[in-house]
Amino acid sequence: MNRFMTVAVAGAALALGVATEAMAQAKPDVLVKQRQAAMTLIGKYWGPVAGMASGKVPYNADIVARNATYLENLSQMPWDGFHESTKGEKSRTLPEAYSQKAKFDEIAERMQAEIAKLGVVARAKNEAGVKQQFGAVGKTCGACHDGFRAK
Amino acid sequence: MFVLGSPAAAGLLLFIGVLAPNVLAQVPPPPPPPVQSGAPAGAKPAAEMPQVPQASAPPADPAARRGEYVASAAGCLGCHTEAKDKAAAYAGGRALKTPFGTFYGPNITPHPVAGIGKWSEADFARAIREGLRPDGAHYFPAFPYPSFARITDADLKDLWTYLRTLPPSARPNQAHDLGFPFNWRFLVRFWKWLYFTPGRFTPDPKRSAAVNRGNYLVNVLGHCGECHTPRNFLGGPKRARHLAGTPKGADDGGTSNLTPSNLKKWDDAELAGFLQSGMTSEGDVTGERMGEVVRNTTSRLTAQDLSSMIAYLRALPAIADEP
Repeated sequence: MNRFMTVAVAGAALALGVATEAMAQAKPDVLVKQRQAAMTLIGKYWGPVAGMASGKVPYNADIVARNATYLENLSQMPWDGFHESTKGEKSRTLPEAYSQKAKFDEIAERMQAEIAKLGVVARAKNEAGVKQQFGAVGKTCGACHDGFRAK
Repeated sequence: MFVLGSPAAAGLLLFIGVLAPNVLAQVPPPPPPPVQSGAPAGAKPAAEMPQVPQASAPPADPAARRGEYVASAAGCLGCHTEAKDKAAAYAGGRALKTPFGTFYGPNITPHPVAGIGKWSEADFARAIREGLRPDGAHYFPAFPYPSFARITDADLKDLWTYLRTLPPSARPNQAHDLGFPFNWRFLVRFWKWLYFTPGRFTPDPKRSAAVNRGNYLVNVLGHCGECHTPRNFLGGPKRARHLAGTPKGADDGGTSNLTPSNLKKWDDAELAGFLQSGMTSEGDVTGERMGEVVRNTTSRLTAQDLSSMIAYLRALPAIADEP
């Protein structure tokens, strides 16, 4: 059993290494699809949380907790898709996303940190905390959508 | 709130081309628009976010409550409140970066020294209607008086009543930080001669009550064109492209085209939902500049006022995006 686990873990680690390597070489159009897919899913799971946190939809702590956890994972996924190689691809991303990469990365990190905080209060079923935190998350989304995405 | 990163910024506009008959000086004050501002401030949709600074409790006086609604519709909070948590509402300090320099919104609480406590109602009316300080100097048009000037008398009075109910804040004003020659305040006189036409809002009898109310909310109180209409190098509005959006600027993503050529992609329910929540039904969050407008203004308007604004935008001539 132990020996099996060792092999399995080693195999998984190898596969992960290969996968990461493969991602770095992904074609630009695939990278764009990847980041757009992540953003689409973020929107899908963010919408109900924002609706509930703002009182537009009846609050359901279980859905908020589940979605916040999904969002925590999804929030890490778009970023390597904004690779230099995708500059020439058709998308709403503005050239500033590449030319002002430090600022872009800073907002992306802030967004992940705010969503992580949302996850903590959501899983604690802290409704007041969620209602407080969702605005901070929304602002980090909006911070990027102003200067880095075409209207 | 105002897209002051764009080349537009400090100037302001008005659509004399579109609304020429409305902006002629000396038009007698029109009757208030049909759906007057009497909408109760208590009717705020719940979508407001908790960290928006708010002046304590809603005022008891009905005139002040109406004035609070006017203040929301005009988005006063954005420029007149510092951008930090727990900032005193309307106590000033917000930095507005523009191509002409950085403006700091002043304290408009009734503090006698730091705010506008010593002003008379006539001083206030002159500031809004003519862009003049009590001492007669010109305001820079970062203060969107070219839009606000046409406010109805009733709304102006209610707004003044509301501002008098704010807790006075001693927060001192900060001097604007403007490049030469924009720091020469007297040059604003010339700018106003070019781009500012005082007058009153006059409903167009050929349009529906909703379109007229929407026109008033979009162009006078909401001052949407301050950001959504492109400007020339002097900061004056390009009137032929009224509300047609602005291209990407040096450090912003521009603003959306609000004419039917763009808005036709959205149905009324989607637009109303967006103005209430700041996001699409797919959970796509708007940029933070508009996000602030949604928090401070559109999410606080009645459903009827939102549909009036939409009706007005739908009735605009379609203008294609700039290539």
